[in-house]
Amino acid sequence: MKMKKFLSLCLAATMTVGVLGGCGDGGSSGGSTGGNDGGNSSGGVEEITFMVWDDLDASSDLITQGYKQSIDRFNKDYEGKYHCKVVSTNLEEYYTKLNAEVAANNTPDVFIVSPGPNLDDYVLPGTAAKLDSYLNADGWKGTFTSDAVFAGGTYGAEAKDGAGIYAVPLNIAAACVFYNTEMFEDAGAKVPKTYSELLDACKKLDAKGYTPITISAGTAWCLSMVAGYLCDRNGLNLDDVYEKKTDWYDAKVIKAGEQIQELSQYFQPTAAADDNDVATAAFYDGEAAILIQGSWAIGQINGSCEPGFEKKVGVFAFPAVDGSSADPNRVIAKSDSLAMSATSQHKDAAIALIKYFVDDTAQKYTAEVGGKIPVTKVQYDESVAPPELAYVMDVFKNANATFGFYNESLADTEAGSTFDSCFVEIFKGTDPKTALKPIQDYYEANVWK
Amino acid sequence: MDKLLRKKSYIIMFLAPAFILFTAVLIVPIITAIYYSLCDYKVNTDATFVGFQNYIDLFTKDPDFATGMKNSLFFMVFSCITQLIFGLILAALLTNIKKGRNFFKNVYYLPCVLSSAALGLMWYFVFSPKYGINKIFEGLGWLERADKGTQWLSDTSGFIILPIIVISFVALWQYVGQSMMLYMAQISGISKDIYEAASIDGCSRTQSFFRITLPLIKPMVATAMSLNAIGSLKFFDLIYSMVPESMRGKNGGAHVLATNLYEQGLRYSKYGYACAIGIVLLVMCLLVTFLINKFVKTESYDM
Amino acid sequence: MKIDVDNSMVEKDKTKRKVVKILIYALLIFLVFVYILPLLWILMSSMKDNAVFKSTPWDLPKSFNVDNYVFAWTKGKLGIATLNSFIVSTMTLIIALIVGSMAAFAIARLRFKFSKLVLTYFMIGMMIPIHCVLFSLYTQFASWKLTDSLPGLIIPYVAFSLPITIYIMVGFFESIPNELFEAAVIDGCSVPRLFTTVGLPLAKTGFMVTGLMAFVNNWNELLFATVFISDDSRKTLPVALTKFVGPHSTNYTQMFAGIVIAVIPTIIVYCIFANQIVEGLTAGAVKG
Repeated sequence: MKMKKFLSLCLAATMTVGVLGGCGDGGSSGGSTGGNDGGNSSGGVEEITFMVWDDLDASSDLITQGYKQSIDRFNKDYEGKYHCKVVSTNLEEYYTKLNAEVAANNTPDVFIVSPGPNLDDYVLPGTAAKLDSYLNADGWKGTFTSDAVFAGGTYGAEAKDGAGIYAVPLNIAAACVFYNTEMFEDAGAKVPKTYSELLDACKKLDAKGYTPITISAGTAWCLSMVAGYLCDRNGLNLDDVYEKKTDWYDAKVIKAGEQIQELSQYFQPTAAADDNDVATAAFYDGEAAILIQGSWAIGQINGSCEPGFEKKVGVFAFPAVDGSSADPNRVIAKSDSLAMSATSQHKDAAIALIKYFVDDTAQKYTAEVGGKIPVTKVQYDESVAPPELAYVMDVFKNANATFGFYNESLADTEAGSTFDSCFVEIFKGTDPKTALKPIQDYYEANVWK
Repeated sequence: MDKLLRKKSYIIMFLAPAFILFTAVLIVPIITAIYYSLCDYKVNTDATFVGFQNYIDLFTKDPDFATGMKNSLFFMVFSCITQLIFGLILAALLTNIKKGRNFFKNVYYLPCVLSSAALGLMWYFVFSPKYGINKIFEGLGWLERADKGTQWLSDTSGFIILPIIVISFVALWQYVGQSMMLYMAQISGISKDIYEAASIDGCSRTQSFFRITLPLIKPMVATAMSLNAIGSLKFFDLIYSMVPESMRGKNGGAHVLATNLYEQGLRYSKYGYACAIGIVLLVMCLLVTFLINKFVKTESYDM
Repeated sequence: MKIDVDNSMVEKDKTKRKVVKILIYALLIFLVFVYILPLLWILMSSMKDNAVFKSTPWDLPKSFNVDNYVFAWTKGKLGIATLNSFIVSTMTLIIALIVGSMAAFAIARLRFKFSKLVLTYFMIGMMIPIHCVLFSLYTQFASWKLTDSLPGLIIPYVAFSLPITIYIMVGFFESIPNELFEAAVIDGCSVPRLFTTVGLPLAKTGFMVTGLMAFVNNWNELLFATVFISDDSRKTLPVALTKFVGPHSTNYTQMFAGIVIAVIPTIIVYCIFANQIVEGLTAGAVKG
């Protein structure tokens, strides 16, 4: 008897599915869907796909929300002509999914990418299109701050399609040290200029019962950002490593490892398990005093923190290492960039979309709301922009040079992950020389051949 | 009648859909996977035949695979033993009570039908040092500060690290109901007459459990054990949802074979290499089933 | 004299049994708590405000807050994911039952030389971990543009559900007495009618078991779905849930609401059909 109930349920289910399926079909003939099938147009609208690493609808990150606004403006202005369909994944699996789309000849028309080995993966085999002709048309290139902003997207003859620019930057983020001014004041800690002063500040904060530093070793790149800074401040030159003038057992890397271990006594106790979100939240919630993070944090602070919190936040450059001759005014910088598929059927639409990300409205938003450094000569209102941006701009202006995130600056993506994991091991207490073996081995097997 | 049931057209009509689907989606891909596993095949390159290179790399040069193998074998042995013991105990206890038997049975079986991903997230929070059971310990005064207590899911000391042990207990919690059900089914199939005869002969309940029940359910032990062994070799969901990303990434201590496969195939897009891991997993599953059935299963008794 | 001793023995035995029984029940009830408490904790926490959860994670909620559910369902996209999961699981169940029971009927009831061999062929599927076909299927489906689509999940799910469906259904078809078929044949039934009028109605318990098993398995499947689907609007529940903690958010209580949304449908199905699932499983297992 119960069987009947079950069968009728099934039947109902089938019917629902049928009806829904019908709805879906009706919808697609209306021209709004079409999946990743290259955006074949229906009803004269050219559809392009845009792939991005954050959920545009749900994210509280203001930079992400800015991207959504650009797309919305594009869709509205070109209604009936172009339409942009967004494919979003989360950051962790972004390149994976993008690779899969590329492998299936489904490359999205426009996709976001970080310059470095990640971009290499698309430029070298000719997946990404050369953009010079578009940039040079109508003086588009002249609207950008300088040619230097294109450095990360510029390739030489090693690219399949020849030397040129393959990615348009959208904004620049610099990795800085954010600190809670109230806690610093309360503990009598000073803004540190050197590593030993940083230890001293941590000691004071710790004595007052604050968690001095919040950091994530559960998401490996966060810890490795600090490791990258320490390596750099100790004077390591990545090119030397690449050319095998030195190796990963270099005393400078070992020293950076020992410093991570020394600092780790001031990390929150759950650092090993916390992912990036949890670790940053501890700073935003006023549980920890120091957060070492990219300046995209500004967009998050202003997007998701208690109102008023942003007034408590100060920013300083990563301290120098005492006794090291390395330039202490080097900043880790990263730009989100857009690349276009070389096989796109709708290149004009794609370029039109990219322009919406770097037009004045979008770039003003980037600075005033998102708190990232804009890439065009746009005039923005500094009084509206988050106060932290001014600090970050200071750090950035004082910088003598920028360098990339270590995990995005090594020989390839797997080398980057290996570097990250080595420093997680060091953080967990393994002797630096032992912990660095995997990256040394990886370079021996794959890079220094 | 016989003629009707031998009609070839009907046989083909009834078998064809399942046969074609099964062959196309399972058997053919296995063959291609075997081929890919012998190839250097990455996302941006076409497959080029390299012989057994992937397998050689796996077993000689890949520390993550070694970790994955170690942890997967641990899961397998742990789950075979504990599920056998606890499954049998539960089955024995439940067959011995009348009131509420169905209720208990249904409760213990419940997690088997729930999403491991969701349950994994649930346990992730239970073992979260900041908000989970450490907080209770803090409340009870056993810990001074919850987040300074045991780091259940990120401690990496020891040969088998703590997160793996924690997760193996979660897996026991989730799946012991299945073993229990299988044993109960078999026990309730044993004729009452045998027990009555035994009790007339002066056999106590405990004695009759060891002398009658155990031998009679031996074939089911083999079935349940194979299910457990294969299930734990395939283990993915709980690891994926419970341990921090850095521990199932490069050089992560909490790898199992399935996370190796996921990482190599999806993160580094080394499809050939990932297929090789899949084939190793397949061979292990077949081998384990064969061994268990050879050594545990004896002739089944007529009941 | 002798009788007295016997009586006291019996008494002693009785109290001993009672104590044992109480101990058994105590243990069983303790275990019920081990099973139910974590689920209840998540349910309670899902009604709290995030800040309240962070400060007092184990206290009872003071009020019922549905905001978390609304967020998880709409912005967290679990609503669309639930629908996707429902479509995928139901379609898989229906196709697998039809295709599988037809094959099982042929193997169990139609007469041909290789029926045992065909059954063995399908049984291979039970020993194959789906992991080993993951990437060969993935690259194949990607080139057919079947990834990121629901049919792209349904097809492999059906194939993976077939072995167990056929295995159990063969058992049920074989247990139907031969006389029933003979009678039907004498009445002039054709083979398809034998299947629909005699076979199917008598094997409905089997349908129930295999159907529920297929539904539950596919509802919960994570690995294939994570690899095959990246488009948010096509994600199934487990995938959407594991990706729920999007970048830069630590709203745990919304996440708890998500967990509850993911397990509630299976719990409801289980509560309605628990006895059938249990009976069916028993029947299926004993047959094996």
